[in-house]
Amino acid sequence: MGLPGLTRRQLLSTVGGLTVAGSLGFAALGTGADALASGASTRVRYWNLFTGGDGANMVAMVDAFRKEHPGIAVKDSTLTWGDPYYTKLAMAAAGNRAPDLGVMHQGRVPGFAPGRLLDPWDMDLLTKYGVREADFNPVLWKRGIVDGKLYALPLDIHVQLSFYRTDVCRKAGLLDADGRLPTANSTDEWFALLKEARKQLKDGQQTLGLHAFDQNFSWWFFVAFYQQLGGGYFSDDRTDVTFDTDKATQVLEFFHQHVADGYTIVGQADGEAFLAGSPFVWEGNWSVPYFSGEKVGYGAQPLPPVFGTPATHAESHSFVLPHQADRGGAANEGAHLLAAYMVKNATAWAGGGHVPAYLPTFEDPAYLKLTPQSEYSRPAMEHPATEPRIWFAGSTGTLAKRIGPVVASSNVGSAKPEAAARRMKSVLEELLAMRNPMDGRTAAQELKGAAA
Amino acid sequence: MTTTLAPATGLRARAATGTESARARWGRRFQHGGWFVAPFFVLYGLFVVVPVVRGLYLSLTDANISGDHTGFVGLDNYREAFQDHLVWNSLGHSVQFTLYVVPCIVVVALLMALIAHHITHLKWLWRLCFFAPFLLPSAVVGNLWWWLFQPTNGMVNHVLGIDTPWLTQKSTAMIAVVVATLWWTVGFSFLLYLAALQNIPHHLYEAAELDGAGAFQRMLHITVPNLRTITGLVLALQILASLQVFDQAVVMYQFGPGPEESTRTFVQYTLEQGFTSYRVGYASAISFILFLIIAAVALGRMWLLRLREEDAR
Repeated sequence: MGLPGLTRRQLLSTVGGLTVAGSLGFAALGTGADALASGASTRVRYWNLFTGGDGANMVAMVDAFRKEHPGIAVKDSTLTWGDPYYTKLAMAAAGNRAPDLGVMHQGRVPGFAPGRLLDPWDMDLLTKYGVREADFNPVLWKRGIVDGKLYALPLDIHVQLSFYRTDVCRKAGLLDADGRLPTANSTDEWFALLKEARKQLKDGQQTLGLHAFDQNFSWWFFVAFYQQLGGGYFSDDRTDVTFDTDKATQVLEFFHQHVADGYTIVGQADGEAFLAGSPFVWEGNWSVPYFSGEKVGYGAQPLPPVFGTPATHAESHSFVLPHQADRGGAANEGAHLLAAYMVKNATAWAGGGHVPAYLPTFEDPAYLKLTPQSEYSRPAMEHPATEPRIWFAGSTGTLAKRIGPVVASSNVGSAKPEAAARRMKSVLEELLAMRNPMDGRTAAQELKGAAA
Repeated sequence: MTTTLAPATGLRARAATGTESARARWGRRFQHGGWFVAPFFVLYGLFVVVPVVRGLYLSLTDANISGDHTGFVGLDNYREAFQDHLVWNSLGHSVQFTLYVVPCIVVVALLMALIAHHITHLKWLWRLCFFAPFLLPSAVVGNLWWWLFQPTNGMVNHVLGIDTPWLTQKSTAMIAVVVATLWWTVGFSFLLYLAALQNIPHHLYEAAELDGAGAFQRMLHITVPNLRTITGLVLALQILASLQVFDQAVVMYQFGPGPEESTRTFVQYTLEQGFTSYRVGYASAISFILFLIIAAVALGRMWLLRLREEDAR
């Protein structure tokens, strides 16, 4: 060809190509290499979304499992919570690169195409490893079932709590003889508590951290108080929106009053403000390790039953089997064993503030000693308020993204509660008419008659 | 001897014939430059052309995130997009952001460049300070400004002695994103301006000074006209980048759409459709709408530039 210069380049490109191919090859080898290195015969790939205090807890539990089961090498990956996690999980399952075991919020299961992106649990294997339905919170267990098959094995129920600082509340004379805050059973009682507590504060300190501007929290708190009023969302046959705008308005007015009366400062970093001396914050129970780490005296209760019926927002971290075309064999069995181990060792998990789904944990003295878990775990579990069970609901899902901002706009006072309630209803109508992109059917078509 | 199929070496062939066919010329050029640009073309094809074509195809289907259920729906997605108020609403926010941020960047970058150009002491420190924020990842910038804009204990309010809820009221929400973006990205345009300033021949200023031109006149009649090309470049780059605004707003509003949905940008809405609602077909369609808008802006700029060049001739 008369291109002498190219031979060197060809050589370089060949070497470069070999390097790339080689590294890819080693990466592929690596999928089995760590299992071999540890002397394990089975490798279980496990994806979860736990970071912070939860993450440390989960890593410790996986390590404990490894010690007990040296024959199984667990390759655990922690991914960012929310959209990034669910996107990856869906794409991995669709592309047949799914991990052997995954974690999901139970509310996301109906939208995650059970049967296509998720495989059902093998009940015989679960039984073999000591998982019995009778040992679980029945509400949680039932929510994991789609078309008669278990798709989500519940690990915990996590709830929104009303955290209070014992130092400020004691000074305000709010605590009872046991050093606990009495429950507020009406909005008047609740605002009376806030009023007393505020007297202890400096100017510019907020009384209640309400996450008034956060779309997720706004929606979660709404779910809780709306359920306290007995409000619903859709008719049983999923053809109509039964959202009660009067009840919704009542809830939204309650939220906004905190802002209007100056108890809540919109946009405040609520958790940090609590640690800095603000007496109340409404937060998820996952904040327990964070608050406990700062050595602040505090207690935690379910959200106050100000509308009469107790109910606090609840979701559940559950184990799922992302779809694999050839699911089975040792890795699948290992996934069942690992999940069974996790749900049964819930005492360790409960250190992160979560309420165990595995009921025998409530007889474990080590669990009962945990504070403030002992204060909230039973009542929280008894009165969970969950999002409607429909494909577009669930943690950080489409419903939260669309309806959360509407609640927030009312919270901060830029929309009137009544107008916001009407807007919420129209969002629900829009979503109900929308086709589920996973199978092209509307909610009415696919979930006819399913229990809410 | 006008066509030689494969001239042994281009230069000699041309020297011998004095003329050559287009094909031969192309072959000669490729021999010399082709191998250098081939990797670019391969990567460009793999990571730009193929995805764009695939995206175009997806936009005509109702594909979901798993790539499943890909029924061909023709222009349905586009039809839906034109009726979807959130498409227009979020596009409006991206345009609003662009209109706010681009003039600010041009003015501030130029001012900063003038300072850094004329300062005599600690030149490197000024340059570093102006450029350093550009090196930060958007997540850091978003979080940083989220803290700075905190209502009661944020530094912005503290310094100004006010208590504006920057991030949570509609009237200031976009301004907060603009301020953060300006701080973060102005360093790049600053560098362009600084380089251009250093290229303006010094004798022009000397001559003007001899003619009695003051500092302001020198600025107006020498500096600004000499920076015209670079200003055009900065404007174009910033407009194209700003229309795609996404990460800083998303981080500052913690993946929410801002007060009364006032900061949800077009890219954010596309992401929500594709990755939260799993409607990849629809998300592809709306991202193509943005693609066409940006392409139109870029082509419009080229057209304007050519008009101006023709005028100049």
